Amino acid sequence: MREDPQAAALPWLKPVLQRMPDRPVVLRVQGLSKWFGDVCVLDSLDFEMREGEVLGLIGPGGVGKSVLVKMCCGLMEPDEGSIEVLGQNLGELKEKQRQSLRERVGLVFQNYALFDFMTVGDNVAFPMRQRGGHTPEQIADRVQERLAEVDLPKVRHLMPNELSGGMKKRVGLARANINDPELIFFDDPTAGLDPVTSSKIFNLIRKTQSHRNSTCLVISHDIDRMRPACDRYLLLYESKLHFSGTETEAMQATDPVVRDFFRRDNAQK
Amino acid sequence: MNPLALIGRNFLNVSETIGGITLVLLRILRAMIPPKFDRDETWLNLYKVGVKSFPIVIMTALFTGAIMVIQSGQYVKQTGATGLLGWGAGYAVLAEVGPVLIGLMFSGRVGANNTAELGTMRVTEQIDALRALAIDPMLHLVVPRFLAMVLMLLLLTALGDLFALVGGALTSQFILEVDWRVFFDGVFNSGLLDEYLIGLSKGVTFGASISVVSCFYGLGVSGGAAGVGRAVNNCVVTSAIGIFVWDYVITYLAN
Repeated sequence: MREDPQAAALPWLKPVLQRMPDRPVVLRVQGLSKWFGDVCVLDSLDFEMREGEVLGLIGPGGVGKSVLVKMCCGLMEPDEGSIEVLGQNLGELKEKQRQSLRERVGLVFQNYALFDFMTVGDNVAFPMRQRGGHTPEQIADRVQERLAEVDLPKVRHLMPNELSGGMKKRVGLARANINDPELIFFDDPTAGLDPVTSSKIFNLIRKTQSHRNSTCLVISHDIDRMRPACDRYLLLYESKLHFSGTETEAMQATDPVVRDFFRRDNAQK
Repeated sequence: MNPLALIGRNFLNVSETIGGITLVLLRILRAMIPPKFDRDETWLNLYKVGVKSFPIVIMTALFTGAIMVIQSGQYVKQTGATGLLGWGAGYAVLAEVGPVLIGLMFSGRVGANNTAELGTMRVTEQIDALRALAIDPMLHLVVPRFLAMVLMLLLLTALGDLFALVGGALTSQFILEVDWRVFFDGVFNSGLLDEYLIGLSKGVTFGASISVVSCFYGLGVSGGAAGVGRAVNNCVVTSAIGIFVWDYVITYLAN
């Protein structure tokens, strides 16, 4: 295995590197902190993701998970630290350069964020149309393909307000995938959904990841149902990165916070 | 609260608003160089902003012209100077009342709607979604709205002024019993072209002012539905103030 200086500094990275040898780093977060007024939301976070990995980001509500994802997409600025996405340091990029980088990154929003003035088909097609270089037929075919992948082949003419919450999430997933991004962030993709739909969403995430070898970061509180999708977990607790590891490592952990998070959910199961 | 602190706080709020509006204007102008904007979105906005505002603007213009004629009618009747009716009503409508009233109607209908639309997009993360999809909200949302409002308020003012004269002529004919030809003779023989052009320049300026103000408040919304309501309210008030300030500046410069 290649010796990585990061691994020496961060012992918990070793098992990750063992599982994903020689895979390039897709996302690297170093010393990341974010303050809102006097409140420190994120305090000196360090972690990284390797290509093809599905990482589950968990933690209590209000701990800064969505803020972290928005900063990784360049939608919010950190107060300290650096974020390297697909080999480019976000802090050193101008807005135009960030836009180019975002073409390689997808984001599924917690509250769908579908454009309510467009049909479902137009919502999914929109990023591809804006990027240009495709004929209307190519766009229509790709939209149909992506909607079929999320089991919604017949909704392209509906408006977002005609869809259920689960359907909107899946449309959001199809839209985020339309340009085949290399890195996708899912901000609580199963919030407010029933258990069956939640399981479907996580299966879709795994299916999408294996189909395109994309790298995924998934925020969720539903640890039980995200298990089949995730390779590894990060636990944010009291503004800090409290745990990083696999489910097995989490189940073996002696730390009461980690045990509480993982085993409580297991008990519910 | 300490009165000085209150004055200071209000001064800071006003400065922040003016600074924010100026920054939005500069960002719009910068985004337009080189000219690059979303063509579909611009067409859509031209329709929403212009075509859909047409009935309300025409209605406003017809009554504005009619009211000007009624106001000056009693003096015209007393003095028998019917030839001045067209000049008086035309002067007031073309240079002043027409553009201002049309601008106010436009700000209430289009500006408020624009703020509510952008504000709702903001609180539902649709603007963040645009950015996440590598689309510049400035080019996709703001510049098309700016262009549509400037162009359409110019056209609506141009048309509205003409309909105001029609309203004046009809009132002159049927209420004051002054022949409509006499009314139009008064308008066209009084050299009111300058006033018409000044009115049009006000239309352009008001359009720019309303679009920048409404985008500033729309993009700055926070705090959910209540925040959208506050932003719309602020937009209508600030746009109205902007219209009167710019009206004063242009009138001063033109005279």
